[in-house]
Amino acid sequence: MRIVVGMKWVPGTQSVRIDPKTGTLIREGVPSIVNPHDLPAVELALRLRDKYGGEVIALSMSPPPAIKGLEYLIGMGVDRAILLTDRVYAGADTLATSYALANAIRKIDAEIGKVDLAVFGQETTDSSTAHIPAQTASWLNWPYVYYVRDAWLTEDGKLRVERILENAIEEWELDMPAIISIAMKSIKPRPVSLLNKIRFKTNPSTLITWTNSYMNLDVRCVGLKGSPTFVAKTVDVPEVPRKKIVYKPKDGEDAARWILKSLLSDEKASRALLKALRGSSGGEGS
Amino acid sequence: MSQKPQGDCGDICPEWGCRNKDEYRGVWVVGEVDENGLSEASLQMLTPARKVASKLGTKITGVLIGHNVKGLADQFMEYGADDVIVVDDERFKEYVPNVFGEAVVELVKKYKPEMIFIAGTMRGRELAPFIANHLRSGITADCTDFDVDEKTRDVFQIRPPFGAVLLAYIRTPNRRPQLATARPNVFPLPPRDPSRAGKGEIIEEKVEHVPVPKSRLVSRKVVPRTEAPIEKAEIVVGGGKGLGSAEGFKMLEELAKEIGAVVGGSRKAVDLGWIPHERQIGQTGKSIKSVIYMAVGISGAAQHMFGVREAEVVVAINNDPSAPILSQADYGVVADYREVIPNLIKLVREIKDRLAKGEPIDL
Ligand SMILES: Cc1cc2nc3c(=O)[nH]c(=O)nc-3n(C[C@H](O)[C@H](O)[C@H](O)COP(=O)(O)OP(=O)(O)OC[C@H]3O[C@@H](n4cnc5c(N)ncnc54)[C@H](O)[C@@H]3O)c2cc1C
Ligand SMILES: Nc1ncnc2c1ncn2[C@@H]1O[C@H](COP(=O)(O)O)[C@@H](O)[C@H]1O
Repeated sequence: MRIVVGMKWVPGTQSVRIDPKTGTLIREGVPSIVNPHDLPAVELALRLRDKYGGEVIALSMSPPPAIKGLEYLIGMGVDRAILLTDRVYAGADTLATSYALANAIRKIDAEIGKVDLAVFGQETTDSSTAHIPAQTASWLNWPYVYYVRDAWLTEDGKLRVERILENAIEEWELDMPAIISIAMKSIKPRPVSLLNKIRFKTNPSTLITWTNSYMNLDVRCVGLKGSPTFVAKTVDVPEVPRKKIVYKPKDGEDAARWILKSLLSDEKASRALLKALRGSSGGEGS
Repeated sequence: MSQKPQGDCGDICPEWGCRNKDEYRGVWVVGEVDENGLSEASLQMLTPARKVASKLGTKITGVLIGHNVKGLADQFMEYGADDVIVVDDERFKEYVPNVFGEAVVELVKKYKPEMIFIAGTMRGRELAPFIANHLRSGITADCTDFDVDEKTRDVFQIRPPFGAVLLAYIRTPNRRPQLATARPNVFPLPPRDPSRAGKGEIIEEKVEHVPVPKSRLVSRKVVPRTEAPIEKAEIVVGGGKGLGSAEGFKMLEELAKEIGAVVGGSRKAVDLGWIPHERQIGQTGKSIKSVIYMAVGISGAAQHMFGVREAEVVVAINNDPSAPILSQADYGVVADYREVIPNLIKLVREIKDRLAKGEPIDL
């Protein structure tokens, strides 16, 4: 089977800087990483290929530095990688992003070979919308399901998946081609292997770049122009008023006593605390 | 940033189709139904829906799709829906994202609401972007507030972007309907008013075009939640990287048991595998509304503090006097948690004993 796996190149740092005028991230000087939630998706795709044969193609719409991330996935064992990149794709919201990705999948299908499955991460760490898989499914009219943690094929060539919701575990069967997104942290990704890195060094053509002169998408459908939503303004998160009383205790007992005293002399806190302490011992919640 | 130029229909993506904004009126809340009935998360969406509907001077319509769901319409109204569209059809017995999505899309094309709210439960997060995309309109995930620009009737969908230091006002100037999700428990459940039942209209609808599903639910095993959800607890104890190990969390669990609290943690604690993601507090985790929040070994990053904005009283235990959490808490203690927590447990047990005996507490 031929599996496309989505990868987003996201800022890896905790020191976030935001342009106060546009409300967008300042990416310059911020080291990026493969979206951590994409790694379980890559791992699942590789396992399916290892079991059933075929190939895994990584796909990322991003400025060129994302090549580093695609190289990392090749190091994990992905067969080839496509960087979808063009200035006209910049400023895309999730509708415009999914439009470009869906069309790239169509292009892979037409030029490289039939795509059976697209696998995405649950969400990205920088926007965490979880929009892309469903939106891509909408463009392609493929069945899809979220929060998958295992997948396999049935004898009659259907995709079976197990997925996990807040309060249920479900098994689904999907006709292929299909789209699945993988529950974060559900599958441990394999490390990069030296052998794969060498394989890539000797055959760099496994990583290709598609620009819009190749994709030929209507510029009104991509990037900022193809995005119905935009950030109208940003405001500071209003500060929550707090008492800010700081105590340097003599020892642990003094600290504990001070905390309980403070809580019991605070009107709201004491009510909740006394209720909990009077109630049956142990137990959770209110 | 100034407003994006209003594109006329000749200037938009040809895949989108023309939209006349003025034809779209009304606010919808899509109900989520499972074996337990209408989900609380979807009823909570009536809270922001009411805010937006009153600013727009319009009404709220609840949408129910499923099999044997008509009976839930009254409940929808009791919590705030003005009327309810019901699609009661055997073919919607099982929820299938594409099939449900297309049904909502067909209803939207007929009734043309201007704003749609969908609860950001796991199923809601799966369904909502499909609907938005099929309608070629915009969607904003995980909103924490809404406002309205009365002149254009555009709804500002407010959410913290990457970093949570700022709030972004996201706007859909040229497309309708506008769609948004919000995570469960970010908005409160509106008060139930039994007298509202039956007041509004129940509009029974048929969906003409029901696609043959290309995916099927094979089995569903309900796993009842054993632990209290952190978003609803009255007292929450949060642990961070400063606990140093999973053992540290055992200590917090012991304290939590004594004071009827639920234990949560920072993202670093989640990443280290000390606590499950369901109990992460913060921008990319849960927002808590507890009366007391006790942060232990947590530095107080903006993304973490975003999740405790609604906590009424914040206590912090941190051994670094310059930790940012100390200037964002009500009561901060500069100390090693390993000395404080065991003493807290001991003292709490003493107090409980006294309370049980009817003796006064003396600290
Ligand atoms: C887009 C984005 C989203 C994010 N979302 C979230 C989110 O939802 N939730 C979240 O929590 N984080 C989130 N983060 C991460 C956040 O920026 C911080 O990295 C994280 O909250 C820090 O966790 P921490 O306080 O446990 O660890 P640290 O920052 O490492 O702090 C540990 C603290 O423990 C104290 N300490 C050490 N030893 C002891 C001891 N013995 N006794 C007492 N105190 C001790 C230290 O003084 C220190 O202050 C997000 C980041 C980004 C970029
Ligand atoms: N620009 C992109 N290029 C390729 N895949 C993406 C891109 N953006 C998002 N994805 C995929 O879609 C998933 C969900 O992302 P999101 O909807 O942005 O939270 C991610 O985990 C990726 O697998």
